[in-house]
Amino acid sequence: MSRGFASNYRISLLASLILLAFGGLGVRLVWLHVLDRKELLGHIQQVRHEVIDEPAVRGNIVDLHDNILATSRSMIVLGADPSALRPADEGKWPQLAALAGIPLPTLASLLTTKFRAPAGPTPAPGARASLVFSLPAAPNATPGAAAPAAAAADAALAAADADDDTVLADPDATGRRPIKWVKLSDEITESTYQKITQLGIAGIYGTRTYRRAYPHHELAAHVVGYVNQQQEPVCGIESYVNFYLRGENGWVESEKDGHRQELAQFRTREVPQADGYNVKLSIDAAVQTMVESELDAIAKKYQPLKATIIVSDPRTGFILALGNYPTFDLTAYNKLTKEQQSWMRNVAVDSQYEPGSVFKIVAASAALDLGLVNVDTRFDCTLEKIEYKGKIRNLPKEDISDHFVHPLTVAEIIAHSSNKGAAQLAMLVGDERFYDYARNFGFGQRTGFPVGSEIAGTLVPLAKWDGLTITRLPMGQGAVSATAIQMQQAMGVIASGGLLLRPQLITQISDREGRVVYAYGPAVVRRVISEQTARTMSTLLEGVASVNGGAPQAEIPGYDVAGKTGTANKVMPKTLPSGKVIGAYSQQHHVTSFVGFFPAHARANERQVEIAVVVDDPDAHAARGTVYGAWVAAPSFKNLALKLIPYLDIRPGSAVVASPSLALEGGRR
Amino acid sequence: MNSSSRSAFANHLLIYTLVAIGFSGSIGVGTVWLQHQISLVAKANKAIEAKLKDCERQSEQATTEIAEEQDVSVLLARNATWRLGLIPPGKEAVQQVTEDPIAHMVLKHNREVFAEANPANSLAPISLRLALQR
Repeated sequence: MSRGFASNYRISLLASLILLAFGGLGVRLVWLHVLDRKELLGHIQQVRHEVIDEPAVRGNIVDLHDNILATSRSMIVLGADPSALRPADEGKWPQLAALAGIPLPTLASLLTTKFRAPAGPTPAPGARASLVFSLPAAPNATPGAAAPAAAAADAALAAADADDDTVLADPDATGRRPIKWVKLSDEITESTYQKITQLGIAGIYGTRTYRRAYPHHELAAHVVGYVNQQQEPVCGIESYVNFYLRGENGWVESEKDGHRQELAQFRTREVPQADGYNVKLSIDAAVQTMVESELDAIAKKYQPLKATIIVSDPRTGFILALGNYPTFDLTAYNKLTKEQQSWMRNVAVDSQYEPGSVFKIVAASAALDLGLVNVDTRFDCTLEKIEYKGKIRNLPKEDISDHFVHPLTVAEIIAHSSNKGAAQLAMLVGDERFYDYARNFGFGQRTGFPVGSEIAGTLVPLAKWDGLTITRLPMGQGAVSATAIQMQQAMGVIASGGLLLRPQLITQISDREGRVVYAYGPAVVRRVISEQTARTMSTLLEGVASVNGGAPQAEIPGYDVAGKTGTANKVMPKTLPSGKVIGAYSQQHHVTSFVGFFPAHARANERQVEIAVVVDDPDAHAARGTVYGAWVAAPSFKNLALKLIPYLDIRPGSAVVASPSLALEGGRR
Repeated sequence: MNSSSRSAFANHLLIYTLVAIGFSGSIGVGTVWLQHQISLVAKANKAIEAKLKDCERQSEQATTEIAEEQDVSVLLARNATWRLGLIPPGKEAVQQVTEDPIAHMVLKHNREVFAEANPANSLAPISLRLALQR
């Protein structure tokens, strides 16, 4: 190094300047990073910091064979910023209207309205806060329109929280509030949205969100339930297992740039979303379809007030199908009128009726189980009065007068549904024990059915029984009312060999990868009657669905069908001559039912199904103006059973013929 | 370089300062480059993530559409529109057999085969006589 340049003075000066410059930089850095740190970080936090919400996808509800009953589909909330629209695009509005499913005049009105009167709703501060938090929607928006789309996404999601979907800017000088975003449709599918973006209309933005879809519309509507537009589960399985279905939202803490785009490299914390679990039901969509088509047929023929059909596996308690009439479309629940709102009630569990003769299974089972009678024990069913506990009691009338000319056996009492015979059986059992058996059969208490606001029905406590109760209760009148699901459960006691099983709908809950999180099995509540008594009762109930029984309409050649009809007079308001209105049994209004199962004597490895058909008030359109369970409900039982036999491969019970079955191609023999 | 005179300290200071500047500068450039790479990778990850989500959405959309197409009312409409003539299976399509179903099917199939081979079914029954010789 030459001495001329590298003089001590110059070098020292240069070095000092450099050091000073670095020192200055250092001081500035200390200033920024230490002294002004709090203020600057606060500013940065405010401007650049963002928390991106990662919404969890709600789980699916599937049937027994994994057919989707409810799922979440990606939908686009389509909106417009009226101030960003170009006059050149107006020619594309008809195409947009057609794609979005909006009438053109409505669309034009939405797009040309640029201001709202001063009285319009003001977004609350909370809404603005959510707008900041809603930025995550931006990554989902269409590429190429990132910043406006992000803004639109913010606006769309912020608007979702407000009563009004329209997002307004601050008032201008005249007090009018410019419209920043107006919703056009929230039901745009991905494919439609692609077509809309291809139109290239400036100011039209969409943001993706998940919406609940019910591909089968009305199918099992009362079981599946629905999620409303606010994405809150309202009823059915959707509501019952919401905890499993909903999943947990995730979130990402990150920073954004001046274009409101996330700077992914500055992600600090990331909690991935946990998608909801899938719920598998015991409902079989095919069986459910059969049930609903049978309900349609009943509705068409009788125009009843309401009707219910339940199909279940009596050995496990799992419900294969549950249908109600009237029903509703899960995708159009919000289109029901106020009068039609009641269609959403699950009348199978929230509506009670007097079960009528089906209840006779309790008296007969109790008497047989206690060993007080055998199937051949005879009772005089022509008596008008009988002495019970030292008092003379009036026996109920029979449905068909002078029918029973000789003393009836227990088997005949059941087969011909004798009211007097059932009353005598109950008297033999005694008040207390008969009441206990009725309770044990599940009457007067909830079954634990998971959906539909279940009621307990009515079984009048023993202390409130009057002198007539022991004669009327055995025929299912007066002191007892039950829901259709309770009747199904009670008949299931006989079909299952004496066990009361809790009716169930959910078979398993699994995660998105198909790993089973929880599996449900049969839930035995209690043993009600012995296995031998149940077998005997099955045999007795076979007599009902036979040529010589009370419901030959339910007989299926080649199969042993066990069941019981029920025809209960409805209690209707009656005005007395004094003007007082009382409740009285009507001769013009009935609830008819048939609850049965087949094959009655299926082996342990053979399929057995139980079907309950309940039709409320079919009288008006019934032949000859009067109805019986055998005429209204039993034929539906048979129709359904005939459809179920090939589908479920139900083979004749061991009592009929022990043989496998073959399905022939094309129905050839 | 003068390393023994009085200017040695200044020379060293200058050299070390320049080295330090160069070193810290290269560290700075390296850091910037590294951050740029991190940014690119993060962006690429984000893009892949978005693409995956998009695929999931498309898949869910397709699943829903398939489920809708499998709805009974839709299938019945298709059956009518396309005149497929499909009918739901009924009890009459099931034949109860008393023997082993496999044996039954084999027997049935073979019967048809023999019937085709000999439509007149004119084969005389064959009887074999066994004679035991001692």
